[in-house]
Amino acid sequence: MGSRVEILNDGGFRSDGRRQYELRDLTIDLSQQGVADGSAIITHGLTQVLVSVFGPREAKMRSQTMHDRANINVEVSVAAFSTGERRKRSRGDKRILEMAATIKSTFEPVVQTSLYPRSQIDVFVQVLQQDGGLLQACINGTTLALANAGIPLLDFVCAVTGGVHSTSPMLDLTLLEENDIPHVTVAVMPKTGKVTLVTMETRLHVERFEEIFRLACEAGKVIHAEIKGAVRERTGRLVAAMGSGPRAGGGDLQDDDAMDG
Amino acid sequence: MASVSTSKAEISYIQSGLLSNPPLRADGRALHDFRTISLETGVAPLANGSAHLNIGQNPHDGGGGTEVLAAAKLEVESVDGQGEGVDGGRIVCTVSCSPSAYPHLSAPALDDLQHDMSTLLHQTLAHPSLHPANLGILAGKKSWLLNLDCVVLADAGNTYDALFMAARAALWDCKVPRTRGVEYKAAVAPGAKVSESGEMDVDRDPGEQQSGFDTRSISRAVDFELPDYWDEGEVLGGRDKWPVCVTLNVASSKVHYLDAILQEEAATPLRLLLVFSFPTAASPSLQAMRILGSGELESGQIREFVADGEKYAQRLSDALNGKLKEEDLRRGQKARDRFARR
Repeated sequence: MGSRVEILNDGGFRSDGRRQYELRDLTIDLSQQGVADGSAIITHGLTQVLVSVFGPREAKMRSQTMHDRANINVEVSVAAFSTGERRKRSRGDKRILEMAATIKSTFEPVVQTSLYPRSQIDVFVQVLQQDGGLLQACINGTTLALANAGIPLLDFVCAVTGGVHSTSPMLDLTLLEENDIPHVTVAVMPKTGKVTLVTMETRLHVERFEEIFRLACEAGKVIHAEIKGAVRERTGRLVAAMGSGPRAGGGDLQDDDAMDG
Repeated sequence: MASVSTSKAEISYIQSGLLSNPPLRADGRALHDFRTISLETGVAPLANGSAHLNIGQNPHDGGGGTEVLAAAKLEVESVDGQGEGVDGGRIVCTVSCSPSAYPHLSAPALDDLQHDMSTLLHQTLAHPSLHPANLGILAGKKSWLLNLDCVVLADAGNTYDALFMAARAALWDCKVPRTRGVEYKAAVAPGAKVSESGEMDVDRDPGEQQSGFDTRSISRAVDFELPDYWDEGEVLGGRDKWPVCVTLNVASSKVHYLDAILQEEAATPLRLLLVFSFPTAASPSLQAMRILGSGELESGQIREFVADGEKYAQRLSDALNGKLKEEDLRRGQKARDRFARR
């Protein structure tokens, strides 16, 4: 084993100094990006994703519209310099299409699409850096961007990756760990306790699955708290900014209050 | 590339504003003023050099503006005649546009746009006159391939200037790892007959017989290694030569202006892209020139435009050099000082 990195050493530490159940540093930036209606930059350790949301708006292609609900269109693009080995993936790449389809199916039951018939919600995911946990970053980023765009969601979707090294489960894997050990990505809706995504590309012993799954659901709640805090702070700042400026029409204060009630 | 829908009335309003005396622009700038440019280098940890550039960022919430991310990545390539590798290394530039920057464009239109941008950037930066000297590793065997990838994250006008500035910053920041050639020497076996010159007597092809007139020193290195060293490598050779681009938006034969926002771009029939290089040791050179748009240009005017463009490009280049040196200092000296104080 000599030069190989130990996934979990005798002291219970992982290769980047974390404990088994410790998540990586999570940073969230909800500031405006370009002309998007809502956007978010989320960083899980060294994985960084920028998500922009447009809509609900008229679809570019009329054939994509549905008469009873909005269509969610997800496009993923990966920056060529985001990985260690440079690899240019085009838009038609199977791997990218698969990821986009996964994100789409994760959010279809969560976004209240029936409120916007005959329209489209565009989600553009730009991967800036990759170090494992790409799908979880994309899903958490999409939740944030959708919330930031003011699109009604039934609940937050919080995703996390869990893996198992021999018999010890671990959370939020880096690329190094992902390459070595079996892992599952779970997306949960913490308030309702529902699960919208469980996906796995490796083989995992069936007896280990329950433990990892349970842990990932717990970790989803931690991420939920972070995401909620970020959205709350952003909204608070927007409300403060609204209050500080001169109001355009003096009379609509009453109307706003009426809406809240 | 107008990505906003602009009505005829808006277009004529913008045009008459630009042509009036004194000229009026929507954001109160003078004709030859740029918006605020912010630049940070070393943003992509997995690249050999990278930069993040924003023109016209809104100071209140950090949003808006044209945003470009550029990263240079080096990979080793064999020079064997089969692949594309050439002696002395090569540069490949690619531009990709995020669909969020052009939300109204369909996928094929976006592909066309990024192909246009890639072509201009590649043709300009991969030109032999700008080729850095230190991209070769072993003559005839290995060389570096420099991939410069730019991503347009948001477009609020003047994308080409932003692209070239970001590309310049990423190339400026790019560090080429130091390499050392490895050569094998056959050990002299005890029984082998050694000639007077000390050379070992081995069976040689008659054709390979060395001529006494051949005085070239041929490197016998067959492979290379990366020696351990404290920094990431040396900077690209001739990095002061990397060009900057200025876009002259021609509103009429008399009036041109710089750094157009999207609405102004939509109202301008003709744009002239001028790419200048300002090497420290030599006189400035015009590296590329493009005319975009449906307008016409008389040949006599070009001389004036090029002279004006050189002036603006010189100012832009000086400002960019200052900022890049400051960034080098921030990431080198100041970071070390901060580390020492901990």
